[in-house]
Amino acid sequence: MDIDTPATRPPDLYGRPRGDSFMQKLAAFSDHAVTRLARRSTPPRRPRATEMPVIRELVVAAKHQEAEDVVSLRLAAPDGGVLPLWQPGAHIELHLPSGRKRQYSLCGDPADRHGYRIAVRRIADGGGGSAEVHDALGDGVRVAITGRPRNGFPFAAEASVLLIAGGIGITPILPMAREAARRGLDWRLVHIGRSRGSMPFAAELAELAAAVPGRVSIRPDDEFGVPAAADLLSSIPAAGAVYCCGLAPMIDGVRRAFGDSCASALHFERFAPAPITDGRPFELQLGGTGRVLPVPYDRSALDVLHEALPDLPFSCRQGFCGTCRVRVAHGRVDHRDRRLTATERAAGAMLPCVSRAPEGERLVLEV
Amino acid sequence: MFRAAHAHPERPSEPLDHHDLVLQPRDVTFDWSTTPLHWLPGEPFATHTFDVLHLMLPELERWFVRTFEQALPLITDDRLREDVRGFIGQEAMHAEAHQEVLEHLLAKGLDPAPYTLQSEWIFRRVLGDRPELTRAATHAHLLQRLALIAAFEHFTAYMGHWILGNRHLDHTGADPAMLDLFRWHGAEEVEHRSVAFDLLVHLDPRYRRRVVGMLVTAPVLTRLWIRGVRFLMSADPELDDRVEVRFRDYLAAARKDLLPPPVSFTRSVLRYFRPGYHPTQEGSTQQAVAYLATSPAARAAAR
Repeated sequence: MDIDTPATRPPDLYGRPRGDSFMQKLAAFSDHAVTRLARRSTPPRRPRATEMPVIRELVVAAKHQEAEDVVSLRLAAPDGGVLPLWQPGAHIELHLPSGRKRQYSLCGDPADRHGYRIAVRRIADGGGGSAEVHDALGDGVRVAITGRPRNGFPFAAEASVLLIAGGIGITPILPMAREAARRGLDWRLVHIGRSRGSMPFAAELAELAAAVPGRVSIRPDDEFGVPAAADLLSSIPAAGAVYCCGLAPMIDGVRRAFGDSCASALHFERFAPAPITDGRPFELQLGGTGRVLPVPYDRSALDVLHEALPDLPFSCRQGFCGTCRVRVAHGRVDHRDRRLTATERAAGAMLPCVSRAPEGERLVLEV
Repeated sequence: MFRAAHAHPERPSEPLDHHDLVLQPRDVTFDWSTTPLHWLPGEPFATHTFDVLHLMLPELERWFVRTFEQALPLITDDRLREDVRGFIGQEAMHAEAHQEVLEHLLAKGLDPAPYTLQSEWIFRRVLGDRPELTRAATHAHLLQRLALIAAFEHFTAYMGHWILGNRHLDHTGADPAMLDLFRWHGAEEVEHRSVAFDLLVHLDPRYRRRVVGMLVTAPVLTRLWIRGVRFLMSADPELDDRVEVRFRDYLAAARKDLLPPPVSFTRSVLRYFRPGYHPTQEGSTQQAVAYLATSPAARAAAR
């Protein structure tokens, strides 16, 4: 981040001419004590091992067909050992044999300490990850996951909750429903999908529904029609919390209808960067005489830069936090961020997480 | 092992505490057009005690970001690196949100510049980089600053937890947008409360390091806060210039539950000195997550 360091002490808070004695003391403390301590400091001994294995090897212990195009996998440690704990809403990052990495919500029981269950719908025109899960992962196949489960969709167990799942979006919702039932919350679940045959975990939902009648509603489009978001929200108890997982249009619909509902809270998973729209290939050059990196149409400038400069700071990857800001020395920038001011842009600032250049052009970065 | 054992609810009544949260900045926006200067009606002292944060935090949090960016290349734990990236983005958004309030204060006739100039100078110059130091001393200087940040994050987590649990501010008619700003900020502080501590311990596990961080941070922060309240009370165009600021004003506001109570606050500072301290022992992620789902600003965020 570029900042100007003020060279002189700031004026007194109340404009008194003598200067501020507290500021003087702070400066003296920093100039003398802090720097002297830093010079004398002995280097610490770093803890050797990191907290966890970076990659955890697992083996496919069971594979089931859950619906048309949906399989579930139960993954276990090769020695049958205990796996790290997780809570409803958690996901794992699965490393497929081809090298692809995909994140899948855990849909089993958190109390099962020896297995992680995921469910995957085959997406015909996707990136090939789901097809690989369907075709290449069978009983006994070894896979790996990154570290341990992480949670981007935490369940806060409010007193009354409405869980809305669209199709395969049932995966994080199912453990939430179980947790809600276990805690005795006032909960409802709505599962929508194309048809009954395409909706996974019907038997498990029926079991939950049998234990507590009236809480689970299954709404396939071919029987009930495509539901309006307002209808989905209509079964929420007053001041309840909504948890919503499904395709983006469904989540957007629920978010729009939320204001007119009597719900008080809305949880949905915030997926990392939206796919690049209207991307054209261009080039980045690191410094006046540095390397030239091609940026393909389907990758962000930040992705490409990050490979070359692994310590480059970034955070939101969506063009609002401003962490990844770089300075462009030459070239026309197609600014797509929501953060930089016109003055900052004119001074050469660019957020490479979203911004690009016109097709075939080159941006020379000051790095 | 620098992370506390993961707490899992054994009984249904136990809180769901997520220490495995994915940290992500939220693209919030606030509208200050209807917020009065005294956003806690009739409580200028309590209002300005909160307002000191607007004067201090933009520079403070940008300093966090710059310091953490320097620490990023030293991290050897992938998960911690991810957490630090999330932390940096959240802090950058906090700085922007408070910065906008400064413009609002100016529009209301309160010029914050004398104090913010001092904040700039403290966080850029006094606590900034020291190019004159050798490589080894530069590393030690970075560790010193990470220890200050870890101590500061203990305060923000405490205050975040306090304001999330406080219902009294609503009852006194606090401006909803300002209350949402502080609660959104407080909730994200609770969400990421372990990151600065874990980073410090990852790079320097010595007890001494973190204790010195708190011994410097606590008195300096207290002093900066008192100076800020005095400054705001005197710069406030709606108040008499000669209004005095006394410790008993704080006690009175704390008794009304408008500010954190002194005893619990002091106890919380002391807990930081316990050898077995870890930020996960303070505050509740479940409460923070629940608030963020109700926060108008966080919910309206496009992402």
